[in-house]
Amino acid sequence: MGCYCSTSKKTEAQGYEEPTILSSETPCEYHDPSLNVTVSEVEALHELYKKLSNSIVEDGLIHKEEFQLALFRNKNKKNLFADRIFDLFDLKRNGVIEFGEFVRSLGVFHPNAALEDKITFAFRLYDLRQTGFIEREELKEMVLALLHESDLELSDDMIETIVDKTFSDADINGDGRIDQDEWKAFVSKHPSLIKNMTLPYLKDITLAFPSFVIRTDIEESEM
Amino acid sequence: MDNKATILMQKYEVGHFLGQGNFAKVYHARNLKTGQSVAIKVFNKESVIKVGMKEQLKREISLMRLVRHPNIVQLHEVMASKTKIYFAMEMVKGGELFYKVSRGRLREDVARKYFQQLIDAVGHCHSRGVCHRDLKPENLLVDENGDLKVTDFGLSALVESRENDGLLHTICGTPAYVAPEVIKKKGYDGAKADIWSCGVILFVLLAGFLPFNDKNLMQMYKKIIKADFKFPHWFSSDVKMLLYRILDPNPKTRIGIAKIVQSRWFRKGYVQLEAFQLPPLSPRNAKDISDVQAAFASSSDSDSDGSPMSNKEDSPMKLYRFNAFDLISISSGFDLSGLFEDNQNGRQLARFTTRKPPSTIVSMLEEIAQIDGRFKILKKNGVVRLEEYKAGINGQLTIDAEIFEVTSSFHVVEVTKIAGNTLEYWKFWDQYLKPSLNEMVWVWQRYEQQQ
Repeated sequence: MGCYCSTSKKTEAQGYEEPTILSSETPCEYHDPSLNVTVSEVEALHELYKKLSNSIVEDGLIHKEEFQLALFRNKNKKNLFADRIFDLFDLKRNGVIEFGEFVRSLGVFHPNAALEDKITFAFRLYDLRQTGFIEREELKEMVLALLHESDLELSDDMIETIVDKTFSDADINGDGRIDQDEWKAFVSKHPSLIKNMTLPYLKDITLAFPSFVIRTDIEESEM
Repeated sequence: MDNKATILMQKYEVGHFLGQGNFAKVYHARNLKTGQSVAIKVFNKESVIKVGMKEQLKREISLMRLVRHPNIVQLHEVMASKTKIYFAMEMVKGGELFYKVSRGRLREDVARKYFQQLIDAVGHCHSRGVCHRDLKPENLLVDENGDLKVTDFGLSALVESRENDGLLHTICGTPAYVAPEVIKKKGYDGAKADIWSCGVILFVLLAGFLPFNDKNLMQMYKKIIKADFKFPHWFSSDVKMLLYRILDPNPKTRIGIAKIVQSRWFRKGYVQLEAFQLPPLSPRNAKDISDVQAAFASSSDSDSDGSPMSNKEDSPMKLYRFNAFDLISISSGFDLSGLFEDNQNGRQLARFTTRKPPSTIVSMLEEIAQIDGRFKILKKNGVVRLEEYKAGINGQLTIDAEIFEVTSSFHVVEVTKIAGNTLEYWKFWDQYLKPSLNEMVWVWQRYEQQQ
């Protein structure tokens, strides 16, 4: 006997999905992380999601401003990279992060998630124009964004040198862009590049948001 | 429960019943994916709510995340259904310490080892602002390796009373371990009360009986308040000296953890925990063959300061060269830990960019390490390690600084605490590191504030 949700469930905000469906559902079409999370982990994440999604607009969905508020403590602070993450989390491309999207996307950041999924997610982050490749101009744009964010000034020559050097290392077939196989090989040489793709915190998520233990009404076998 | 195996939350196969108390039943279970054995502690949700323990239970679950330590029973995760709350806890297979004591007192070296591990665990928790408040042999388990495990840290209010035979009852299940200031009920410091309880435990391990005991509860309380006890003749003078200072009825003058660790009796045979052995220096470009050879060369001489210096004058260390993706990855937009606003497990990381040459950074770090002769310096390519000579309760404070080259005149530096007490680190950071580093900094990319 597995667990299942009570049929007499209160109305939840738009975008809410039953925790059991999420934790047992087959992987979605956008990427293929194996959702090896328990129902309780999904419910703990829901506690976090509720906090984030109601911080500015109380509609139960995470808007861009709420995402920026959580990351930077400033809802108006723009950041190219935070935008990229938001866009990748927003699987339905409807401008908000729904709970199901939140769980699936954060699953890639779990310490136990497959390395391949982390590499793929990072590749899609850097593929700014979603062409299936990391183009040289995209990489330069990202370097410029970082320098701007940090109030750093480097000469144009220096920037070109950094981008050229990186491309000469990563672009194995010399076609002027980095494909997924080249990216995978590059990350193998520089594993620290996907350090950001792991959030150790997710391992302890049920201890971090214990309120769910009182709130949940999932049925379970007697013992 | 029937004989058929029950699957809990699609993750654990629940096996035989282990024990029961007023609030919880405990079962053996196995993680279906990893095969790991755990103890599943099952609370009836309605009972917890009925006795007004809801908020306390949630607080204590959060506390258990703060106190990971090899000598503390670990809470792996929490699960819940409509009617039950489940704790998946580390399975400790050796039994309770009080069964050992119930057969008579322990040898001094055995008692000392348990006490060392107890103090390590308690000191670790106190350094994170967590007190146990109910330390007694009943909450001390011994695993199959003979190592101590403190259980129910932060869960004292849920501890059940138990029926025992006469001898066990006189040692356990009584308030005999409670500090004088707790009995007086005028408000007390939980950490100091824990230290008193550790002293009573040590006495019991060595003596086989309680230091304060009387059939009449009020008489026992009077003895505790006055610290009215006698040492058996077989207690050594060193342990007597230590116990006099622990079982000091005045919490203001009672010995603290740091002094206990320095005492002669405690230090005998004291070894730093395996978990606190420092990771090796690991610069990002450590894969080079020449570095492997240098590492072997330096490991044969334990006093080595790391790999030999390069001959290059303008670049004395072989630095990891940042590529464009390394540079991009330091953006704060990629740091999702802000989603978890009270994340207290984050590593202490500071990062800045600098126009100063690496040799200037290294010289500054060497100067700081010399202050009071406090730190040993180790170097390996871009990593400079400051390793404290004197071991504190949480191991030596150890700080790694790694320098990365972006261009010949532009570097990124990351400073990380990798071991030791967090409060000590922030004190050192505020007093020495940050003021000196400020002179080097072109732009602070990030540093964590203490919490």
